[in-house]
Amino acid sequence: MSAVAHEHHGPPPIHYSSRIPPPLVGIFLFIGSEIMLFGSFFTVYFFDRVVNNPGTWPPLNPATGVQFERPWFVALVNTLILVTSSFTMHWASTSLKKGNRAGLCAGMVLTLLLGLTFLLTQVIEYHRIGFNTGDTAFAATFFGLTGLHGCHVFIGLLILLAMTIRSFKGHFTPEHHHGLEVGGIYWHFVDVMWIVVYVTVYIL
Amino acid sequence: MTDITHHDTHDSHGAGHGHGEGAPQTVWHHAWTRPGWWRVLWTTPLFFGIGCGLVTLIRWAAHWDPIWKGQPITTVALVTVPVGFLVGLGGFDFWTHYAGGLPTQAEDHDSHGAKTWKDYFRINTDHKVIGVQYVVTTIIFFLIGGFFAMLFRAELAKPGDQYFNPQTFNVLVTNHAALMIFLFIIPAFAGLGNFVIPLMIGAADMAFPKLNALSYWLLPIAGVMLIVGMCTPGGGPSAGWTCYAPLCSHQPMGQIFFNMAVQWAGASSIMTALNFLVTIITMRAPGMTFWRMPLLVWANFTTSMLVVLATPFIAGSQFFVLFDRVMHTNYFESSGGGYVIGYQHIFWFYSHPAVYIMLLPGFGIISEVVSVMSRKPIFGYRLMALSLLAILVLGFSVWAHHMFVAGMAGWLRVPIMVTTLLIAVPTGIKIFSWLATLWDGKIHMNTPMLWALGFIAMFVIGGLSGIYLGSVPIDIQANQTYYIVAHIHYVLFGGSVFTIFCGIYYWFPKMTGRMYNERLGQLHFWLTFIGFNLTFFPMHYLGLRGMPRRVADYVPQFAGMNEFISIASFGLGASTLVFLYNMIWSWARGPAAGDNPWRSMTLEWQVSSPPPIFNFDEVPQVVGGPYEYGVPGARHAIFGTETPAPVLAE
Repeated sequence: MSAVAHEHHGPPPIHYSSRIPPPLVGIFLFIGSEIMLFGSFFTVYFFDRVVNNPGTWPPLNPATGVQFERPWFVALVNTLILVTSSFTMHWASTSLKKGNRAGLCAGMVLTLLLGLTFLLTQVIEYHRIGFNTGDTAFAATFFGLTGLHGCHVFIGLLILLAMTIRSFKGHFTPEHHHGLEVGGIYWHFVDVMWIVVYVTVYIL
Repeated sequence: MTDITHHDTHDSHGAGHGHGEGAPQTVWHHAWTRPGWWRVLWTTPLFFGIGCGLVTLIRWAAHWDPIWKGQPITTVALVTVPVGFLVGLGGFDFWTHYAGGLPTQAEDHDSHGAKTWKDYFRINTDHKVIGVQYVVTTIIFFLIGGFFAMLFRAELAKPGDQYFNPQTFNVLVTNHAALMIFLFIIPAFAGLGNFVIPLMIGAADMAFPKLNALSYWLLPIAGVMLIVGMCTPGGGPSAGWTCYAPLCSHQPMGQIFFNMAVQWAGASSIMTALNFLVTIITMRAPGMTFWRMPLLVWANFTTSMLVVLATPFIAGSQFFVLFDRVMHTNYFESSGGGYVIGYQHIFWFYSHPAVYIMLLPGFGIISEVVSVMSRKPIFGYRLMALSLLAILVLGFSVWAHHMFVAGMAGWLRVPIMVTTLLIAVPTGIKIFSWLATLWDGKIHMNTPMLWALGFIAMFVIGGLSGIYLGSVPIDIQANQTYYIVAHIHYVLFGGSVFTIFCGIYYWFPKMTGRMYNERLGQLHFWLTFIGFNLTFFPMHYLGLRGMPRRVADYVPQFAGMNEFISIASFGLGASTLVFLYNMIWSWARGPAAGDNPWRSMTLEWQVSSPPPIFNFDEVPQVVGGPYEYGVPGARHAIFGTETPAPVLAE
């Protein structure tokens, strides 16, 4: 594979036994693992809500005596922002495959900004939400699920940042773009997972 | 993730970037900045500082009081310090270069292979080196964990308090189990698999060599964290390796080290499993169809699926107890509306599949050895592979048999009992297939074979006591007694550890190029086998008589038998010295082993011992099954320019 001559002889040419290239197989399996991690957070949510507190949900806040309020509208706007970022990501990667560098770079920057907006909104929401992690199991599951997802957004943003830098430097070509593809798949996963988290945590 | 292929790096290895580590190319490129132990010396404290600063900054910004608080800082530092260590060692160099848009160096394999012993102490991307690193590291942790067992067996030799107070006793028991499970059995299989799998499927390396190197280096981190946690102020973690909540949320600070060590070990095992899966799916040699893969590869394929899907649950459970402790959440605190038994459900949803994670690779090793050493094709090859998949699926449905008396929902008991007993079917298929493979074979009674046969016998005993414990009425009686201790050791010692020894002896010639001493190997087996049975068999009886486990003191009526067990366990511990002596001496001075001392057909034995740096000079062409011993004209693979013979054997 490597075109450069070495003083020691290199490995024989790699034989791939799968039509899907290894990085893509890897990211899909990794997403399977991530789904199970979210699964454990959903499981504990299920135990705390369905098994242990089968009454009204959200429960009463013991500090104030009224039901916990969930800022579902702000989060809905935030959801739309994140979903939009999935489309811009898709636009970026299709632009790359068509050889449209400007579209690629614009798409990456837009995705990055939308993701950043989502995360900042989430932080501000935490700040103004009016309850803390220690206030009953409801707060634990609320911060657990949204926080776990927020960590994934953060890591996704770091990956996107790397991809954006490389896009601007022209390191991706229509033929060689596994890096971008892997980052994009991860970002789509983060977005889809948010919809599940949003519906579970804010609506149901 | 993206390191394997040369695709992404291909476009960017610019001119002017030398290949090979060679002489320093620029002035700043000296020991303090080059990846290695000198850089570790300053990156580790730097990242400790970053961790402290981060926590303090967040606490200051959120107006939390006090700003400087021990437990959150410890927790975060246990993430950042290992990251700093890895940064220093160079584990992230490729990715940081990649992320920063710098020209990444094309894969020039300069971190491949080991010429001196020093090459084992750096980031090394060669799967063979990583395999050896894994095996040696895990054996060190095995010795430490075994030493803990000797200590608390000394305490248990007589009723009353002798050497340790109950708290220290529990710390020893907890860390004995944690070291053996997370730092020995699971990673030892990862090590053997690392060495063997790419060779067996005809690949030059794993799919993601850099990820592979990184996942190895997480392991010593986890081990050191566990051991350091025992020495923290307030005493070590003593909640048992299962660290049930809410007990463990109220343990001294050493518990944080324990929880984080489990996270690091878990991350290591997920990364390795991902690598195994991708390697097995994408890197097989031409002709190596799934139904021509050796059963060890099948076993690791299934195990890796289990790891990838189940390990996130233990990560979750450890996160929750950490949150309960550090962020005062109420996941498992009943006073705040948490569900106490939830921890056990989530924990066992990983930790029961973990039992199969600790057994299936062993099954694979036994399949190799039994077939080779009895010179017969494995009996029921396809069913052997399918029964692994059956265990994989069923393994996810039996977790609650650990909780029959925990107060879980009553209706869950019987379904879980049924699935638990059902798992005996695929396991039984494997046992009978091995026996049928032995039947009428030309059996070579050498050390690996002795371990394999010992495994089959011991695992049947462990499996049978498992059937007893799987039934609700008996479990209610025997729960929390030494019967459980006997069962788990027949499964994990007589099962997993015997297979690990089997695998180490079997592949020792391939790993080192030298032969171990056969007499000492057999002596090691018999000493271990006898010591093992004398130690653990009486525990069945003790348990049925009602002696509770995990207790430092006991009633005098059990004194005689406990003294016997303790003496036997010291013998069992001493038998490991024979193993160590044999391994160290043979590695240094043993006679040359030759390429294929066992006359095996699988691919790893068709190359030199130890294998050449890129395993195969040419990609082999696989033409038949791996176990066609005694079948006239059967070939597993052909090399080079040989004309492919017509495939008759299939």
